[in-house]
Amino acid sequence: MNKSLLTGILIISVIGLAALCAPVLTPHDPSNIDSNHILMGPSPEHPLGTDGLGRDLLSRLLYGARISLSVGLIAVGISTLLGITLGALAGYYGGILDTCIMRFVDIMLCFPTFFLILGVVAVLDQSLFNIMFIIGLTSWMGTARLMRGEILSLKEREFVQAAVAIGASPSRIIIRHLIPNATGPVLVNATLGIASAILIESSLSFLGLGVQPPTPSWGNILIESKSTMAVAWWITLFPGLAILTTIMAFNFLAEGLKKS
Amino acid sequence: MPELLRIKNLRVAFTVGKNTVQAVDWLNLTLEEGVTTVLAGESGSGKSVTCLAVTKLLPENALVGPESQIIFENKNLLALSPHELTDIRGKKIAYVFQEPSSFLNPVFSIGDQISETVMLHQQVTRKKAEEETLQLLSLVRIKEARRVMHSYPHQLSGGMNQRVFLAMSLACKPRLLIADEPTTALDVTTESAILALLMELKKTLGFTLLFITHNLSIAVRIADRICIMHRGAIVEDNTVDAIFASPHHTHTQELIAAYKTIGSL
Repeated sequence: MNKSLLTGILIISVIGLAALCAPVLTPHDPSNIDSNHILMGPSPEHPLGTDGLGRDLLSRLLYGARISLSVGLIAVGISTLLGITLGALAGYYGGILDTCIMRFVDIMLCFPTFFLILGVVAVLDQSLFNIMFIIGLTSWMGTARLMRGEILSLKEREFVQAAVAIGASPSRIIIRHLIPNATGPVLVNATLGIASAILIESSLSFLGLGVQPPTPSWGNILIESKSTMAVAWWITLFPGLAILTTIMAFNFLAEGLKKS
Repeated sequence: MPELLRIKNLRVAFTVGKNTVQAVDWLNLTLEEGVTTVLAGESGSGKSVTCLAVTKLLPENALVGPESQIIFENKNLLALSPHELTDIRGKKIAYVFQEPSSFLNPVFSIGDQISETVMLHQQVTRKKAEEETLQLLSLVRIKEARRVMHSYPHQLSGGMNQRVFLAMSLACKPRLLIADEPTTALDVTTESAILALLMELKKTLGFTLLFITHNLSIAVRIADRICIMHRGAIVEDNTVDAIFASPHHTHTQELIAAYKTIGSL
């Protein structure tokens, strides 16, 4: 267990636990508007202060963490699944299938992903599910390439020949013998993917095309703070810090996994 | 003895760039049930290629001649579909390879790998497959079978891994076991032990053994019949005694001379 792995796991579990235990950690409802306590600085009652509608910032951040983390996890789940499947098929079968899949990857990589997402989100309904799905569908290419490369070298290994000799079918060889041996680099890639998915979601929300208020997400808390930044620094600082810490933690985790 | 497998006019060529190399050239061989046949010859004589061709395990750049046939249970194995072949591989014809440690999957425990093979060809529950795995491990004389089941290939010695691989190959009681230099990567003592085990298992389980080696001293110990391969074809095929008493082909004479020189050292 190296230092970066430990740091990553520690920070992520603290954030994850805080998101899970949000109702226990804070007595306030994240969307409870209180006109008597508008733009209050940090105080014992509201540890991180309140926003322009008098909502408790800590509650909003904790509930927002649920949204941001689940967007990250589910989007990466979708993209990893897609990347592993397509990459493994391309690597194992080679030939025309490989060419088709890899050229499709090249085409997808040509699009400026963020603008593609922006475009799609602008046309479709901006539900949480759509956002996860779209981030997932536009970020699988790296995983596919990685997987293909791993499979290409793994399929020449002797234990694969042994599996064929024992009577295993191609699908069994891919699922049971090749993919488990290739998980290392894919896992590292997925961890980095979570960080970038959270960032994309925050950016989308910041542009008003992500998670729609009153549901809190780190990105849309940040944009609401824009107009009051001059008088209420805490509304900008804390969500920014939350995003920064989480993304750093996932990067630490990825680095730690790469080393071990 | 009834015939088990017949290789007819086998030709295998490899394309390397623009060139083709003829690895096996018009090879004919009939294996009889219960007879241990040793395929002996120098490196590159086509021994391994012949064996891999039996269940179409050859690499993608290999070309098998159109007139080649491999008859097993009245079917031409070379004409079977990939799906039909998976029913033969492991179940009827099994292999043991040279480098046991690299032929086992590094990320699965020994127990998982063997029970996977058991479940591949038999409709049994996981629990039943694990029981069978334990039996198989004790069959190949592994003590502490329970501990070994939970170990990974890199935690075991080469000899142990070869026993494990043997257990895996024998999981479905194959009719034919093809052993491709199974002891070459092992030291002499372990080699002896594995050979003795192989002969003992052959007696108890009743499979037919096709053994490949370049080492005539092994051939002498286990063979009923020796086939000498040279440049992709069998040049001499006879019982052990007959081959040593009167080798016909010059290549056989050379091999025997080499064996005797080493033996006298």
